[in-house]
Amino acid sequence: MQENDETGHTISADYTITPNFAVGWYDKWEENGRLYSEHGPEFNSLIKRWNLPDGQANIFNSTGAGVAIDGSKNKGAAWTDFLADYETRRVFTSYEIRAMYADSIESSIWQRARIGYAPYAANYNDVATWFMLQVDDHPNKNDKFVVTPLVRFFYKTSLIEAGYSSNNRLMFNWELQF
Amino acid sequence: MISGMIITFISGVAFADTIKVSVNGLVCAFCATGIEKTFKKQSAVDQVNVDLDNRLVTINTKPNQKLDDATITKLINDAGYQITGISRVK
Repeated sequence: MQENDETGHTISADYTITPNFAVGWYDKWEENGRLYSEHGPEFNSLIKRWNLPDGQANIFNSTGAGVAIDGSKNKGAAWTDFLADYETRRVFTSYEIRAMYADSIESSIWQRARIGYAPYAANYNDVATWFMLQVDDHPNKNDKFVVTPLVRFFYKTSLIEAGYSSNNRLMFNWELQF
Repeated sequence: MISGMIITFISGVAFADTIKVSVNGLVCAFCATGIEKTFKKQSAVDQVNVDLDNRLVTINTKPNQKLDDATITKLINDAGYQITGISRVK
């Protein structure tokens, strides 16, 4: 998965060990504030899923630890992220909260919420289209409150998202599953 | 003689099952792909089709191969979804 948005550039690769647990590697180069990067292994778990007749709700956690790099300064870093979502084939909502600690480089809590609407219910062999609105609240960034309208397309195991944020930054995310 | 031929013909036919599984929680192609991959790993399975509109997974077994309800339920549950019904067509 690669994410390029107003917070920076992220690349991660995960291997799913069980349907509820994956391990991976996470790299992020932060922007819109202090320029630094964080790198390390990450553990992703599905804490709880509710399977509903017309939808699904989930709580996920991602936790990682590694190093944060700011110029010539390297510090140990740890982060944890909880994401709750509810989706049907036409409606999507999510809330995410992330805590990051890297000693003198970074100590912050960041929140993100999304709502989305699909103009049609895509079946398995169709390209799914979603119109979404993402709201970010990240007090440690220069632009603390950012709204990003975006469009998401996915087909089978490939997903792309493109948007443009209220602080005038392009968003482009993609994800492939094997 | 004709009935004898029919009996001989029927006994020689290799039967495959078509299993229709109703599943809660199927909302997107990522879900569908996970289920498709899970069943394609089973040696008894010939084809898998996921119909999101009807929340239905259709499994065709290979001739003379069986996939019992307990195995199907375990595979769907382990993939993170919930079965609401299983029906079979010969």
